[in-house]
Amino acid sequence: MNLRRLLAISRKEIRHILRDWQTLAVVLVMPVMMMFLYGYALNADAKDIPVMIEAPDLGPEVRTLIDKIDASQMFKVAGVIPVVDDAGELFKLYGIHALFRFPPGFSADLRRSGGAHAQVLIDGSDPNIGTMIRNAAEPMLLGATLQVMNIRQPKVLDLRSLVLYNPDQRSALFFVPGLMALILLMISALLTSIAITREKELGTMGQMLVSPLRPLEIIAGKIIPYIFLATLDGLLILVVGYLAFGVRIAGNPWLLGACSLVYVFTALSIGLMISTIAKRQQHAMFIALGATLMPTVLLSGFIFPVASMPIFLRTVSQVIPATYFLEIVRGIILKGVGLDVLWKPVAILAGEGALLTAISLRKFKVKL
Amino acid sequence: MSGYSIETTHLTRKFGAFTAVDGIDVKVAAGEVFGFLGANGAGKTTAIRMLCGLLVPTSGSGTVAGFDIIRESAQIRTRIGYMSQKFSLYPDLTVAQNLKLYGRLYGLGKADLKNRIQSMSDFLGLGPLLDKVTGELPWGWQQRLSLACANLHSPKILFLDEPTGSVDPVSRRNFWDLIHQLSGQGTTVFITSHYMDEVEYCHRLSIMIDGRIAAMGTPRALKTEHACASIHELFLKLMETNSLPATRSAP
Repeated sequence: MNLRRLLAISRKEIRHILRDWQTLAVVLVMPVMMMFLYGYALNADAKDIPVMIEAPDLGPEVRTLIDKIDASQMFKVAGVIPVVDDAGELFKLYGIHALFRFPPGFSADLRRSGGAHAQVLIDGSDPNIGTMIRNAAEPMLLGATLQVMNIRQPKVLDLRSLVLYNPDQRSALFFVPGLMALILLMISALLTSIAITREKELGTMGQMLVSPLRPLEIIAGKIIPYIFLATLDGLLILVVGYLAFGVRIAGNPWLLGACSLVYVFTALSIGLMISTIAKRQQHAMFIALGATLMPTVLLSGFIFPVASMPIFLRTVSQVIPATYFLEIVRGIILKGVGLDVLWKPVAILAGEGALLTAISLRKFKVKL
Repeated sequence: MSGYSIETTHLTRKFGAFTAVDGIDVKVAAGEVFGFLGANGAGKTTAIRMLCGLLVPTSGSGTVAGFDIIRESAQIRTRIGYMSQKFSLYPDLTVAQNLKLYGRLYGLGKADLKNRIQSMSDFLGLGPLLDKVTGELPWGWQQRLSLACANLHSPKILFLDEPTGSVDPVSRRNFWDLIHQLSGQGTTVFITSHYMDEVEYCHRLSIMIDGRIAAMGTPRALKTEHACASIHELFLKLMETNSLPATRSAP
């Protein structure tokens, strides 16, 4: 290993990066943009969902219930209609997401036997909103009805839940770790595999291999600038996460940095592996997107919980580095735990990285 | 040490059942301009790759600058310059940045680097272009830059793999002048080409057909021996008499 030659390669690589300012801009702006997109789009509390009420009999009870629905944060009553002929038409025409139907005699039923029927039609075309309405409608109406009738529910069970680590259930605490996993992987695996295959395409790789450079010097020299870029993006995410979304690191920030470097190493080894397979830049890009970014978004537990996946996908998620990195980042940022708890995912990441690097370097040499 | 810049003994390389280079024996003296000719797919590039240490021979042996091509490729690499048939410098870097990069890869110190870049750009007329982005230069100049990069560390031996492909005749003539100047300074030049007219400029040449060397000698001796008016004619004659009946394909 010759440091001068290695640095000559790094210097050249930095020139490529600076020369290609468009890519650089994407690399620096994208994480911030994604944070704001996730920050606002992932907001789980739906507000003022437009609904309508069908109520042929407007007794005082029904009127109170309608007021309660309208007063809730979740719903906004767009209209009250005595008789609905075609409910589907209402959904299409007024863009409402639910129709509450109180049948004739609802108020009388309530007063007489203490048991009445009502119905809610829910627009299922957006499953998220549909589920939210379904979960919220019954407790809300039940509570309101009891209040209207002045009934105090007998206390049978008092279950009080207390959420630890993210008490306000803020989505920023959830997407900041996920975005770190995604962005670091993207820079390390995608950009490096493209940078290496570009040299193959240009023929400069062959030119370097007849020089005194060793394969390890070429690879290390090319990779170093991307490690800095990944570090920069990691810091950017944490700083924006803190300033714009109030995400604090509960644990040791240095440990977070060190673990992130282990993850970057694993991601780089994937990038290397891709560049031994791919012959062209586009080829490398598609493999990197398909083999790293998609599984990271879908299977690492970033968005969909691993526990709810079928066994096959759960097995796949056990191999994805981001699964372990998420465990580490959530552990450090939210729970403030240390290496005594996190040594296992860290060891798995390091092991995967070492294995892939060994295979890639071997393949790199065999090619000669 | 054998005294030859390049020497091979029964050098052979097989790719599966296909024999790309079939037991060639070549001796090239220091300072010689040696033309290594053959049709496309005759095995020239495979042979060069073995000499540069990029490919391990299946059998046979060879030395380059006195070092064994199998065991001492690291020593060989510091002593050779290589210019491939494809332009292989960084188009997004400037001329000076490309030169500096290659100088550093060959371990030139700061002062050395400056002197060599100065003398190379004087020699090849690159001076006014040093701050230009390489990819925007015309072909002929890109090729000169390739030669400058390959020659920056004053290698003992220059391997030029079809350097004059797709270059106009005037530039080609200039290029050969440069090569002879380098040879005059003691650099061995090992050059492949399939332009049969220009190889008359070589001191000696070999003609490779189907992985074997069909003829070797000075251009004049070869023409006399085979009673041909030109190397072009000689090449076609050799192709007819030496070709195997089966068609071959490059690996």
